[in-house]
Amino acid sequence: MRLLGLPPGQDIIPGREGPLIRGERMENMNAFLLEYLPIIIFIGIAAVIGIALVVVPLLIAPSNPDPEKVSTYECGFNAFDDARMRFDVRFYLVSILFIIFDLEVAFLFPWSISLNELGPVGFWSMFVFLGILTIGFVYEWKKGALEWE
Amino acid sequence: MWIYKLIVLLPLIGALLAMPAGRMFSARAAELLTSGLMILVAVFSWTAFFSVTGSQADLTVPLFTWMTSGDFHVAWALKIDSLTAVMLVVVNTVSCLVHIYSIGYMSHDPHRPRFFAYLSLFTFAMLSLVTASNFLQMFFGWEGVGLASYLLIGFWFHKDSANAAAIKAFVVNRVGDFGFVLGIMATFMVFGSIEFDKVFPQVHHFENHTFHFLAWEVPTMTTICLLLFVGAMGKSAQIILHTWLPDAMEGPTPVSALIHAATMVTAGVFMVCRLSYMFEAAPAALAVVTVVGATTAFFAATVGLFQNDIKRVIAYSTCSQLGYMFFAAGVSAYPVAMFHLFTHAFFKALLFLGAGSVIHAMSDEQDMRKMGGIYKMIPMTWAMMLIGTFALTGVGIPGVEIFGAPLGFAGFVSKDGILEMAYAAHSGVGKYAFWMGIAAAVMTSFYSWRLAFMTFHDKPRASADVMSHVHESPAVMTVPLAILALGAVLAGMVFYGGFMGHDLAAFWGASFPEHGATHVVMTEAHHVKETVAVVVWAPFVVMLLGLGIAYYYYIRHPELPPKMGQSRNGLYLFVKNKWYFDELYDFLFVRPAQKLGRFLWKKGDGFTIDGFGPDGVSALVLKITGQVVRLQTGYLYHYAFAMLLGVAALVTYFMFFGGAN
Amino acid sequence: METIKVIDSLHASLDLALPEVIMALGAMALMMYGVFRGEKSFSAVSWGAFGLIVVTGLSVMDLAANDITVRTIGFSGAFVVEPFSIFLKYLILAGSGAAVLMAMDFMKREKLARFEYPVLVVLATLGMMIMVSANDLISLYMGLELQSLALYVLAAFNRDSLRSTESGLKYFVLGAVSSGLLLYGCSLLYGFTGTTNFDALAKVAAGDLSGSAQMGLIFGITFLLAGLAFKISAVPFHMWTPDVYEGSPTPVVAFFAAAPKIAAMGLFIRVTVGLFPVSEGVEQPWQQIVVFVAIASMVLGAFAAIGQTNIKRLMAYSSIGHMGYALVGLSAGTKEGVDGVLLYMLIYLFTVTGVFVCILAMRRKEGMVEHISDLAGMSQNHKIGAFVLSMLFFSLAGIPPLAGFWGKLFVFLPAIQAGYILLVVIGALASVVSAFYYLRIVKIIYFDEPEGAFQPQPMALRLILAVSAIFTLGLTLFLQVPREWTSFAAGSLF
Repeated sequence: MRLLGLPPGQDIIPGREGPLIRGERMENMNAFLLEYLPIIIFIGIAAVIGIALVVVPLLIAPSNPDPEKVSTYECGFNAFDDARMRFDVRFYLVSILFIIFDLEVAFLFPWSISLNELGPVGFWSMFVFLGILTIGFVYEWKKGALEWE
Repeated sequence: MWIYKLIVLLPLIGALLAMPAGRMFSARAAELLTSGLMILVAVFSWTAFFSVTGSQADLTVPLFTWMTSGDFHVAWALKIDSLTAVMLVVVNTVSCLVHIYSIGYMSHDPHRPRFFAYLSLFTFAMLSLVTASNFLQMFFGWEGVGLASYLLIGFWFHKDSANAAAIKAFVVNRVGDFGFVLGIMATFMVFGSIEFDKVFPQVHHFENHTFHFLAWEVPTMTTICLLLFVGAMGKSAQIILHTWLPDAMEGPTPVSALIHAATMVTAGVFMVCRLSYMFEAAPAALAVVTVVGATTAFFAATVGLFQNDIKRVIAYSTCSQLGYMFFAAGVSAYPVAMFHLFTHAFFKALLFLGAGSVIHAMSDEQDMRKMGGIYKMIPMTWAMMLIGTFALTGVGIPGVEIFGAPLGFAGFVSKDGILEMAYAAHSGVGKYAFWMGIAAAVMTSFYSWRLAFMTFHDKPRASADVMSHVHESPAVMTVPLAILALGAVLAGMVFYGGFMGHDLAAFWGASFPEHGATHVVMTEAHHVKETVAVVVWAPFVVMLLGLGIAYYYYIRHPELPPKMGQSRNGLYLFVKNKWYFDELYDFLFVRPAQKLGRFLWKKGDGFTIDGFGPDGVSALVLKITGQVVRLQTGYLYHYAFAMLLGVAALVTYFMFFGGAN
Repeated sequence: METIKVIDSLHASLDLALPEVIMALGAMALMMYGVFRGEKSFSAVSWGAFGLIVVTGLSVMDLAANDITVRTIGFSGAFVVEPFSIFLKYLILAGSGAAVLMAMDFMKREKLARFEYPVLVVLATLGMMIMVSANDLISLYMGLELQSLALYVLAAFNRDSLRSTESGLKYFVLGAVSSGLLLYGCSLLYGFTGTTNFDALAKVAAGDLSGSAQMGLIFGITFLLAGLAFKISAVPFHMWTPDVYEGSPTPVVAFFAAAPKIAAMGLFIRVTVGLFPVSEGVEQPWQQIVVFVAIASMVLGAFAAIGQTNIKRLMAYSSIGHMGYALVGLSAGTKEGVDGVLLYMLIYLFTVTGVFVCILAMRRKEGMVEHISDLAGMSQNHKIGAFVLSMLFFSLAGIPPLAGFWGKLFVFLPAIQAGYILLVVIGALASVVSAFYYLRIVKIIYFDEPEGAFQPQPMALRLILAVSAIFTLGLTLFLQVPREWTSFAAGSLF
């Protein structure tokens, strides 16, 4: 919030202390839209970086392929090939399983920094969540989903 | 009282029980049950006849209230007077004998219980007709006999011709019934009641009454009577509405004897007589009755001349004789009309049953050209048929009386009576009727003898196989013949005194108007008989004339008639083809009706109603279904597209039309 | 009278959600049991799942007995229990229990006996229970996804069958689209009201809103309802239904046909009538959506089913049509209307379960058959079965005095009272058209040349069929009983 230069303490996050009704909303409309400014900035930065990463190598990257560079990856994919090819479903499985735990960690970050405010209820809630996740993990382990062969 | 109720109800019980009895026990049980009941009813009827006639009785036996609606009350009651009593005797005697006869005649038919149920049903309906105390009850019986007639004509339902004939009889009768119904309605409108006993006393108030129709002043009574007479014409097969009767011969022969000779077809005559009080108030209507009757008598006789089907000859003869009865009624000689009805029932039933016996003997052959030379093989039948022929042609000795009655066969007594009445009417239509009657009598004599000669005499024309099977009918068939023959011989002489002789007034009581035209014409007829020789002798002479011609052509020169048939003489063809009535109707009514029907069927019903109704809707449904099912392509992106389209449509709708008011 | 009761403590909130807690713990326990015992644990896990469903049902009953007669809100407003949700939970549990029982024999026979099936059914059921108790857009979405994810897997359960995997994939992709629509609707609602809580939403919606804010609300509710309409397979969000019904294993379809529809219908009712109550004479925008969707569903259900030869596909269109009829009652937006919808869903559950038991019974020596023509002359070989099936179809067609007639009657009546005459007329006409294909099946059963007998059915199926038949045939005699329940349940929403 401070990033945008708004006076501290002004609560414009809707829903935290009951709904805002229309009158308040209209007064704060500009402020409300400002709330989305970071997103636009992010989109802008992402676009710039993306374009830069495509353009810059074209201009400055040296291009001298050698047999090691163009040979097949360990996962079996050719370095230069049609993207729409069949590949082993196990890659997919591994990536999906990875994403689940990846997301779990993503949940853990905000939880960990606000644990002070959440108190014991927040603490145990996360443990219930982790417990459920563990059950799933046990299941996939026992089913052999983690074994390559 | 109970006797009258039993007379009417027992045949109904027989009709209802015949089929269950046939199913549970045997066909024989059904036969015995219905015939037994009919014998009982016949005996009761004769008892009733002797107790009612001559006693001036006029009873009404109430049974129950049929319906009440506002001023419209109909009670179910039996009206018992001499007229009814005569009809009871005629109906039940013939019906009883036909039942018994049928036991023999139908013995090879697998559906006998049904047949006997129908016969008894018919009898019940006929009895409700003749015992009716009001118009509606009469109409009930009227329709009831129509129904039974339809069922019996079409009894052999596997024969197409029988079905067609049954439908024809039913449809032609509808035309008449339409008139009858209109007549009943008109009666109720004018008199405010349809009870005979309430209507008849009021009739004289309306004698000169007229009503306004379009631009005309129409005489009320004449209109009502003519409408009613249309009904009578249909039921009694008078010219114009006669076409169904010959075709009705498709039914089993006992049916023809019962329904199409002795009873149902006489219902029209009975109706005119029952309503004599009303007809007396409408002289114009009576004139029409006379002309129609006389014309029918003549017309039917001409057609009868050259028919080859033994039953059709008798059918046309019936038609002709009914014409006699009508013109008798038309000249107000109701007692004489009833007398001829009475005698005719005996000898015509005799002729039909005799013909049935012949057909039975000839292995179901009806064509007279394939008969001949069988009188020695079936002498009893032959004798009976001869008696019937004598009665029909009017054999008797004019001018000779025994016990106050003319000496002669039944037909002689009553038919000559009718001709006397027609002459004695001293009116134009009366004269017309008289001469038509004489002309018809010549032809009656000719075709009757032609029938007798072709059937029994000359050389055998049937195949040897058929000839070898010719046999006399069993007693169950010949005994009824004998009883009817007795009637054919004696009925005229015995009942002359009561019906139209000196005991007239006492016999009939109040059945007909006591004074007025009837009285005048009856008295005048006695006078005429004594003074005008032509009236007495003409029928006798023409009877002999007809006999002579028939003898010449069919005994002396049997080779002549086939030649005449080949000569294609115009008059011959005209008569032979029944005056082209069927063809005319075919052209005038049947084809247009068929065309109209086809139009309504194909265009009206098939195209419009079905096309836009059931068929159209179902075709549309199938079409929509085809379209809808095609939406289900199986492609994922189509499905997703449909979903997005749906949301987009809803959102767009709210954007422009709905939502934020 | 107090119409709302708020529970503050977490402990009391957990009490309120006890059935769901039991179900969740049970599901995990069953999964652990199954995965440690291996593939042969199918029967044990199935019975366990059935037992779990029964126990959950008892726990719901316990809640009901604890005087829950008004909206009781727990978990800071995210979870609600009232007679309405309790009634729906009974129906959902009944449908799920039947689905577990119906599958046991079938799965073993078809070599699909994997313990995941009952576990997934239980998880889906858990999702449905959360759905009907949702009082917040977040808990709504959580329940919905929990249900949907389990159902996606179930649709593709016969993973060696091309059609089953195809149907699973289609269901998944389209389900994702519908989730997207729903989420977008939720975000619009949140954006224009600033809250995800239903009670707060209702308060804002009832307040004085500017034109654009109102339009935003309308768009939000439109997208939200589009997402839910997908779940009840209402036109034009129905396209997945025929393919999934045809491709998925029959017990799965039997499950799909009843329980998820009931849950989604409950949610549908809650976000329409609950959020935007209809006041006298003022038509709410959602009513127009419901009317449109109802008409489209009834008509399409009636017409498209005529062209079908596969009985499962026919039942798919039939269910589309029936959801249309149920929505007719909702369109009125009155207590009587909701009452009618609940009664309709109750009757629908019993009837459709019976029909699917019969479809499961269509098994010859050479395997399952599912063409309508395979029913030909069934009356000759299975007198009672043919009679029951015919009665079920008569009921679906809405012919009195069978149950289906009452269902239709009590959804049509409120709509007429609310003035939706045209809607009801179209509904009646559509039911005439749909009667055609129901009666055609009856005709095939009774008058066509026999095709040969079916194999006998296991006892559990016969029991379910008997219950369904007794309910369908005898409802007229005890109509007052379910009428009292539904009226009580519907009353708690108003």
